[in-house]
Amino acid sequence: MSIETTEPPAAGPHGEDGGHFLEPEVVDRGQRLGVWLFIGGDIIIVSALLFTYLYLRGVNTSGHWMSMLGYQGHSYAYYQNAANLPAPTLIHVKAMSAGFDWLITAVTVVTAGIIWQGERALRVTKNAKAFSSAAAFATIVTLVAIVLTVIQLRAIPEIFVATNDSQGMAYTAYDSAFMALVGSGLIHLVVLAFLGLGLTVRASRGLITGEKWYQARLIRMFWVWIAISSVVVAAVTTTINTIH
Amino acid sequence: MTTTLERNATAQIPKGGGLARRQNFGTAVVAGVVFAYLFWLIAHLTLDSTGRPFGDQVATFTGLGWLIGFWIGIGAFNGPFRWLLGRDHSHADDMYYAGQNMGKARYWKFTTDHKVVGVQYIVVTMVLFGVGGILAMAIRTNLIAPGNHFVNQQVYNSFIAIHGMVMILAMIVAVAGPWGNFVMPIMIGARDMAFPRLNALSLWTLVAAIGLLVTTLAVGGLPVGWVVMDPISNQAGIGMDFFALTIIAFTVSTTVAGVNTITTMMTMRTKGMTLERMPIFTWGVFMAAALGLYAFPYFLVAESFQILDRTSFTSFFVSTGGGTGWLQANLFWLMGHPEVYVILLPAVGALFEIAAVMSRKPVFSYRTAVGSMAGLAGLSALVWAHHMFTSGWAPTLGGPFMLTTEIISIPTGLFFLVLIGTLWRGHIWMKLPTIWLFGFMANFIIAGITGIYLSDIPLDDQLHGTMFVTAHFHYVFVGSVLFGAIAALAFWYPKVTGRYLNEYLGRISFWFVFVGVQVTFLAMFVSGLRGMPRRYASYSIIFEHTNFASTIGAYTIMIGMIILGVALVTSWNKGEPSGPNPWQANSLEWMVPTPPPLENFEVQPVITEDPYNFDKEMVRR
Ligand SMILES: [Cu+2]
Repeated sequence: MSIETTEPPAAGPHGEDGGHFLEPEVVDRGQRLGVWLFIGGDIIIVSALLFTYLYLRGVNTSGHWMSMLGYQGHSYAYYQNAANLPAPTLIHVKAMSAGFDWLITAVTVVTAGIIWQGERALRVTKNAKAFSSAAAFATIVTLVAIVLTVIQLRAIPEIFVATNDSQGMAYTAYDSAFMALVGSGLIHLVVLAFLGLGLTVRASRGLITGEKWYQARLIRMFWVWIAISSVVVAAVTTTINTIH
Repeated sequence: MTTTLERNATAQIPKGGGLARRQNFGTAVVAGVVFAYLFWLIAHLTLDSTGRPFGDQVATFTGLGWLIGFWIGIGAFNGPFRWLLGRDHSHADDMYYAGQNMGKARYWKFTTDHKVVGVQYIVVTMVLFGVGGILAMAIRTNLIAPGNHFVNQQVYNSFIAIHGMVMILAMIVAVAGPWGNFVMPIMIGARDMAFPRLNALSLWTLVAAIGLLVTTLAVGGLPVGWVVMDPISNQAGIGMDFFALTIIAFTVSTTVAGVNTITTMMTMRTKGMTLERMPIFTWGVFMAAALGLYAFPYFLVAESFQILDRTSFTSFFVSTGGGTGWLQANLFWLMGHPEVYVILLPAVGALFEIAAVMSRKPVFSYRTAVGSMAGLAGLSALVWAHHMFTSGWAPTLGGPFMLTTEIISIPTGLFFLVLIGTLWRGHIWMKLPTIWLFGFMANFIIAGITGIYLSDIPLDDQLHGTMFVTAHFHYVFVGSVLFGAIAALAFWYPKVTGRYLNEYLGRISFWFVFVGVQVTFLAMFVSGLRGMPRRYASYSIIFEHTNFASTIGAYTIMIGMIILGVALVTSWNKGEPSGPNPWQANSLEWMVPTPPPLENFEVQPVITEDPYNFDKEMVRR
């Protein structure tokens, strides 16, 4: 391999190139590809969760997609202390509230919209203070989405099951798969809250400005993907749930 | 070209680093243990201890505590929280993290220099092979005679699973870990990986995961096989919770590494380093990284479900609640088959590189070489159900999956032809890397052809679950990947240490391992053809002779590996000096001093042609 040599490029901005004096475009391109690849990995996870949901509904093992042998209507402690449990009955669970599902999704989409608008305004108006406020607002709305998601998770109904070797509160296949989707949504929202807080702080400290906006754009890309995944999950879980 | 073996003793350690100045492997272990205890305590104080999953809940909390504590202790969270607070790294901070002038201490820290990470991976790989090898010897000792009870049967079952998982981890990192980190960035003319801190994160997360995996042995074992099928995994003891957490941590590690590798290769190439001028090894690493990024999330999802089923009474894999073990089997093998190619492709890339350099010829049909690796990676995502032919799942899909599996022999044949074409009429230099390369080629023929037998459904019905399968994939992993990994080690060892891996010991080791592999696994094929089931602690007298042979063969492999280990350790400081370019190769890693300086290049190289234009008259020692 024949090799010529050139002078090293001028020093890049500190903290963004691992101290390697990379050209800013190289750093930017790398970070953008990195975010796309992380989104790609996340798409596999969300797809696997959706596959699980649809597959378990499809096989409907023993007709138990939305039903289970057990007891319902009292607390865990009640059944535990009950002297003689009667024979378990087949409990049917209902589909989770579609309205609540879409409410969480709507709030998530709103947060993505705020960030997107904020980032666009930052590039046009170069107003970092306004962007910091937008990021703070998006973070607060994300916290609302987190609270709503926790409420949603807590609303998933449990059934008390007791067999020869075990007893406890159990979830049907439908509720399990639903919980996995909502739970992954919760993890996503917590990540967004972290990123939103970081954008707020960094913009207010002058690390994100009208000239240095690319980090805001990278986070906006991830944010929009989360909003899209939230819409897809809500669409699937609200339209395909019961078995006729 | 100068060779610098000693660092400048008077150079100063950079002033930056902040909290990282106090963090190293020791603080990581201490923090891991403290957090594990704290999480254990919190679980005991807050959770209801009467339900059945209490033990699993406590185990999961404890394992999570270890992981979080280890991350905090090693310094993995420093970067994200400094980002959050807007206190970005200064240049001095970056240089501290890169381990500038830090000597041996940097090998015990969250060091970002890709060459340090590469060496750390060498050590991790050796540790994994050591642990997995000891378990293998225990297993083979138990099987030396029918009815032998070297270990009790529950322990034996755990050894089978832990041996499997430890060796899978070892194989995944054996080539891509050390050389994907140490030489790949230099090969493409980069000063480091695209995301140096993520590089350190991936290495130390793997270390934390290994801690969790070894813990399974201390808390009742994992008597379910490394494929952790259901319902048996759902019924296993708390070792299963630690196993599931191991997989979750490991997926974080591989995902981060995969993103980093791909980004580095796509954006960090130096001027003139077009995609077709990249040394062929880098393509092997690239394909494996991309495939790993696709495949491992399935395993993360499967094991997250496993934890939920065991701790929270969900019904993913539990049929009484509407779940099914087939879901686990599908998710597992969606990962499990591509994973074989995540393991194989970096070794194949390294062998292409070695074949070209050691025969002084260009890689035969470079595009076919890249295409065959891409074909293997792509097809491997479409064959997973061949592991489930006898499980009863979707019998109508048997035909299509048999077809896709057999089509894989086309890119496999192509890469083999590329190897032969590269060596053909070359001026072959028979040194250690070349010897292990030829060993690979002999063994891979057997590995590949027995794989075609197993992809054939009527034959698979007979052979599934027998020692034939075990022998097949040991020809893949031991006979092929391990040989490739050792060839790569012998090839790039001089770049790390400035010294040759001892040629004499290396050759002795080769013959022990090569003969050992044939004795162990050819005999194992016979055991399998006669109907001996895999994973059994004891067996009928009719399998006596072949098992005895397998055990003797395994000991032979062990002797060879110990000799190789001795060579590896003794050559590090006392081996014959090699100079910066012992194989007279043309790719960039050989153009820089040995060991390469912190930023690899004094001046940025510009590439004008591919690295395989060898001067045939070049003098050889
Ligand atoms: Cu397979």
